[in-house]
Formats: sequence, structure tokens, C-alpha cells
Amino acid sequence: MEIRQFAENALTIYLGDEIDEKVNRQLVALRHRIDEMDIQGIGEIVLSYTSLIIYFDIFKTDVDALKKTVGDIDESALLEAEVSYRVIEIPVCYGGEYGPDIDSFEADGLSAEEVIELHANKEYLVYMLGFMPGFPYLGGLDERLHKARLETPRVRIPPGSVGIGGKQTGMYPFESPGGWHLLGRTPVPLFDENREESILYQAGDRIIYRPIDASEFKEIASRIEAGSYDIQFEVRGG
Amino acid sequence: MTLKVTRPGLHTTVQDLGRFGHQSEGFSPAGAMDYRALMLANQLLGNDENAPGLEMTLRGATFEVVKDTVVAAVGADMKMKIDDADHPSGIPVHVAKGSRIQFGAADVGARTYLAVPGGFKVETVLGSASTHVRSGIGGHSGRALQEGDMLHAGTTGAATRYRIKDFDDGDEIVRVIPGQQFDRFGDEMKQQFFNSSYALTKDCDRMGFRLDGPELVAAPDHDVLSEPTQLGSIQVPKGGRPIVLLNDRQTAGGYARIGTVAHADIPKFVQKQPGDAVKFAEITVEEASALYRDEMARIRSGGYLEISNAFRVHVRPVARKVARIMKR
Repeated sequence: MEIRQFAENALTIYLGDEIDEKVNRQLVALRHRIDEMDIQGIGEIVLSYTSLIIYFDIFKTDVDALKKTVGDIDESALLEAEVSYRVIEIPVCYGGEYGPDIDSFEADGLSAEEVIELHANKEYLVYMLGFMPGFPYLGGLDERLHKARLETPRVRIPPGSVGIGGKQTGMYPFESPGGWHLLGRTPVPLFDENREESILYQAGDRIIYRPIDASEFKEIASRIEAGSYDIQFEVRGG
Repeated sequence: MTLKVTRPGLHTTVQDLGRFGHQSEGFSPAGAMDYRALMLANQLLGNDENAPGLEMTLRGATFEVVKDTVVAAVGADMKMKIDDADHPSGIPVHVAKGSRIQFGAADVGARTYLAVPGGFKVETVLGSASTHVRSGIGGHSGRALQEGDMLHAGTTGAATRYRIKDFDDGDEIVRVIPGQQFDRFGDEMKQQFFNSSYALTKDCDRMGFRLDGPELVAAPDHDVLSEPTQLGSIQVPKGGRPIVLLNDRQTAGGYARIGTVAHADIPKFVQKQPGDAVKFAEITVEEASALYRDEMARIRSGGYLEISNAFRVHVRPVARKVARIMKR
């Protein structure tokens, strides 16, 4: 564990130096431990691949005491800590107008069906969120689906688009320009300010894509409109 | 209805002090870039320090007063005029229904904050009124103001008897805490960073300021695993021109960071215009923390205020004429 400070109101705790599921598990457990301690003045804890940042109120928190408290946490015990996480199901309509790039994998010897087969129904770990609100940095993409980004990025990617960029897969909660290959789209709003959890997942959760057809896409969309669609998820561990 | 936007200015948005607690979900804090100027504008009206105000950029907006109210403008001097009469900023002023409040271009400084009693009334998103234009949330319909927008003040309120003291914040020294990848920059690069002038380019907005100056080369390279960004993070991509990340920044970034602009110098830094130069000076995080505590204490204890002798009521010219006729 390495504790550093690069801003007046934040401590950065490093637990590793590369993308590693084990490090993510430790970071999630560390966030949980710090949350439980209920230390005065702690604002928010932000996870990334190898570190977490603890924001604090410099008028309420003694930074030296905070450093000591965090430094005293047994790093190896973090691995054994039972921390619950959620597996969130995201329905995706692959191909067609929603996934205009799915056929481009034919150049790599994969039919659209094979792309769906490799991409859907498996769990992706949410390492962190960033780039835009609710944009997950996911781990676990099958190597056969790694694909260099588009040479000419699209000016407009519709919200809900699910795609692949390099070694990563992910989805766009907001409209954005971007160079990802679009495989499909989800009718579930990835950001909804009126929902209790405006963003559905956090670092440490898992995402699973469930293939749906165009008629189910429309049906889910109208149920969401009517407020009668429940996001499917499962809580594990803890 | 309190104010109607008749000309929106270059980039005018509703901002409070920011949207905190959601960076882990990827929400940038947004918020007033010159947090001090917004806090002071709010003080002039007796508002909560976090009350939403308008942030105007380089060239201000023009408003029609729809209902009698009080306004206070603090920050860059945008030559505030009320019905063509000049009004100094930094002092609250009563404005009558039918008046026109007009801001021009700032010669010095870049951002002016306009406060009304109780703050501008907008729906909060995730606990904040701040506009984040890139994700279309907060403020007035999640966007910069446009002609015809109607704005509401939270309360009727009144002016305080204070004005903002003159203070000079115009020097070019910006203090910097060593950053995450400080040691990827060798001694020669560090010296160059702290001994050269860096000028603001035209690419300066609420997300960040791109600077121009001697190239900074990181070893072994400029790419890092995506890490959370912080206010004032100075990242150096390949090419060597630093970018200072500000309020609307992406919450994660993948370039080497040489430093973090000290919070206490953020108000000064964000008031620079494209073309203005800055010089970075190294300080420790402990020094920066002490400076920030002192600065916040100075703001909150009224250290920037003085009692104003002038009682400013702007009476419309017609009303003045009527008053003159009545006196006869």
C-alpha cells in the first residue's frame, strides 16, 4: 500500500500497478472498510484500476490521522474480506440499426452470431467509471473480439450504444462522438436522474449482456416509459 | 420570473459550488470555476455561499428585469450597465422592473458571477444546481443560456451594506503541488516547467485549459493507466503541452500528471484569458493546504468585504424624470 497526496482535499491509496481483478477486489474491500469506519469529513471515495482516492473536508479531517488509520489496515486481509457486489443484467438488441458494426467482424472471421455468442451472457467486471457519467471500464472481453478503433470516429453515437474499442467493451450512457465499433443498443437508460440510483452500477459490480430482439427492445422501452420495468440484478457475496 | 435573457453572452451557465459525491459514477463536479467570486457575490446579497449564480465568460449577457430585484456581480469587470448608466461591480444594486442589465466584454479577467437573492431557482440534479453542458444536466435545461430564457430568483431578498474591497490578484504566479507522475519528468524538465512562462491557448474552456510553452517530455512515456482526475490536475500528453483540468473535466484521465494547481490559486488561474501567461511555482501539499484553509477563512469571515457608503438604487430614467416633475 502506498499513500500519497496530490491535492489539499484528497488522499490517493495505491494497491497495485496494473489492471488486475485481485487489485480491484482489494480496492472494493478497502472502500467498504473506510465507509464502515465512518471517519469524520470523508466526502467520497473514487476507485480506479490500481488506486482509490479519498476526498475529505480539510476543515473537518485530520489528514495525518487519516493516513495512519488507512495505513494500519491490513492489506492482505482485504483479499479475504467478503464484500457483496451486484450482477446487473443489461438487455441488448444486437445488430441491425442498433449495432451497425457487428458485421465488420467478418473481416476477423467472425459472423454476427459468433460475435453475439462471444460478447453476451458472460460477466464483465466494472473496474471503474469515468470518461462520461456512467461509462464503465469493463474487464473480461474475449480476445477474439479485440479490435482497433474506427479510423474515422463517428460524430454521434446514440445513448445506450454497446460497443468495442481496442481491448475494451462498454456502453455510452450519453450521446457522444467516438471511435468504437457498435454491436448493439440497450433500451435501459444508463443514466436516469429520477431513478433512485441514477447510475445502475459501481466499481466492483458485474455486468452481463442479455441478447434481445427488436420487438423486445420496443417492449422494454415502452415499459420503461410507463415506469413498469424493473432492472434485473442479483446480489452476491457479503 | 425575475430576469429574461435578451442576449446570452459568450457562454453563460448556472453554477453553484459543484456537484460532489458522484465522481465515482463519472460525474464531473462542474460548479463555479472562480469559487471565490461566486461566494462573494452571494455574500453581497446575504445568500448561502452555495446559492446558484450565473457564470459569464469573457463577454457577458444582457437581461431584462421582469420583476424588481437586487443583483450583485463579482469577478472580471464586464462593464456592467443598467439602462445605459455604468455601474461598478462588487456592489449590490437594486434594479426595477423594465430595466435592462447589460454586460460587455472583459478587458482583464475572464469570468463574472451574477447573484440574485436566494440564488437562481433551478431544479437540482444529484444535489447540485451546477450545469454540466457535456452531459446536459443541471442548471437551466442542462445547457448554456439562450436568448429568451426566463430566470427566477429564489427569494425577493435585499442587498447587504457591503461591497467587495479592491484586491489585486493579477500576477502570473500559480502555485503547484507535485503530481502523480512528477518523477517521470527529469530535473531538467522540472526546471523548465517551473522557470518558463506558459500561455493560455484559445482552447480554454470549463473542462480545461491547454497551455503553450516549452515542451515537457516524460520518461518512459506520457501514458498511464486511467486514474481519477482532480481539480487543477496538470496532465501532459505526448507532444508536451500541458493541460490543466478544471471543473467540467472527465473524471478519469490517462496522461502523466506533473502537478496539481493549488486550490488557493484556482480563482486567479481561471480568471486568465487566452494569451495571458502564467508561471508555475512548486509548493508542498502541506503549504497548499494551509493556503487554502487561510483563503477559505478569509472569504467566510468577510475578509473581502467592506462597508459601502453608497446606497445603490437604480431608478429608471423615466421614474427619475417623473420624480423631478413631482418635485416642482
